[in-house]
Amino acid sequence: MNKSEIKKLIISSLNAEADAVGVSGKLEKEGISYNFSENFSDKVLNKLFSAVLTVNREVEFVKYMNFAFYRIALTGVAAIIVLLVSIFLREGSFSFNSFLGLSDNYDESIVCLLTGNM
Amino acid sequence: MIYESYKVTEEVDLVRASLNGDKNAFGEIVNRYQKMVARTVKGMLGDSVFAEDIGQEVFINLYYSLSEFRGEAKLSTYIQKIAVNLTLNEIKRRKRFFSLFSQKANNEMYEFEIADYDTEERKEASEIVHKALMRLDPKFRIIVTMRMLQGYTTKETAEILDLPLGTVLSRLSRAQEQLRNILVKL
Repeated sequence: MNKSEIKKLIISSLNAEADAVGVSGKLEKEGISYNFSENFSDKVLNKLFSAVLTVNREVEFVKYMNFAFYRIALTGVAAIIVLLVSIFLREGSFSFNSFLGLSDNYDESIVCLLTGNM
Repeated sequence: MIYESYKVTEEVDLVRASLNGDKNAFGEIVNRYQKMVARTVKGMLGDSVFAEDIGQEVFINLYYSLSEFRGEAKLSTYIQKIAVNLTLNEIKRRKRFFSLFSQKANNEMYEFEIADYDTEERKEASEIVHKALMRLDPKFRIIVTMRMLQGYTTKETAEILDLPLGTVLSRLSRAQEQLRNILVKL
């Protein structure tokens, strides 16, 4: 097919009622075809499954982090409970002073302690 | 190739197998539709290495969105839609990049690697089609690619591009007019 015939074919392919399948077939016969490189599918699969592997590793890391967080949080809660129980057993109440460890001190002794007048 | 055994498998079964993590089934999907994707991507972006990257991205996107494919439309239409969206996004990205960093004209944004043709006539034909496509406005180029390279009907083109049929018809006639002017100069 010469230059002008190709041009005519291109123009005619855009007519609303044109046989588009026929035109694309003719163009392909004339060497107008597009292809990806060899092993394209292998490249896609390699890219895809190595990416999946990375994502899986990230997910595993987040899982381990969550697990570690729960263990640390549970240990913390247990320590707080033990502390509260020991305060209650020693002081007999949950007053502000007992939390600060000041329940045995009189106000005067605190003043003395702060001012340095023993 | 490993996916040779899937050559005659139905599309729906390939999708199901891929969803179950069968690498070879997805490989067969890539094999079946790579030429169709190449026509869209290379027709729109030019025959370059970057076009191949976009082609790979099309199938990667397909893999991750395969669970959303309900089988109401053909798998080819679904893949074609992904290809069109990614290609148009790439054109927008290039336009932004070139308007910021380069003085290159629109039609220079696209590369074309001349393949080895057995005859001078074939080479010339390929050059004419490529140059004509690259000089078209992208919104007309996509319509021309769908019709001229993929061989879709106007109705199918409208469905893939999510455009009303009337819009496709009017763009077709405007594209034809623009192409005529371009081809005179080639």
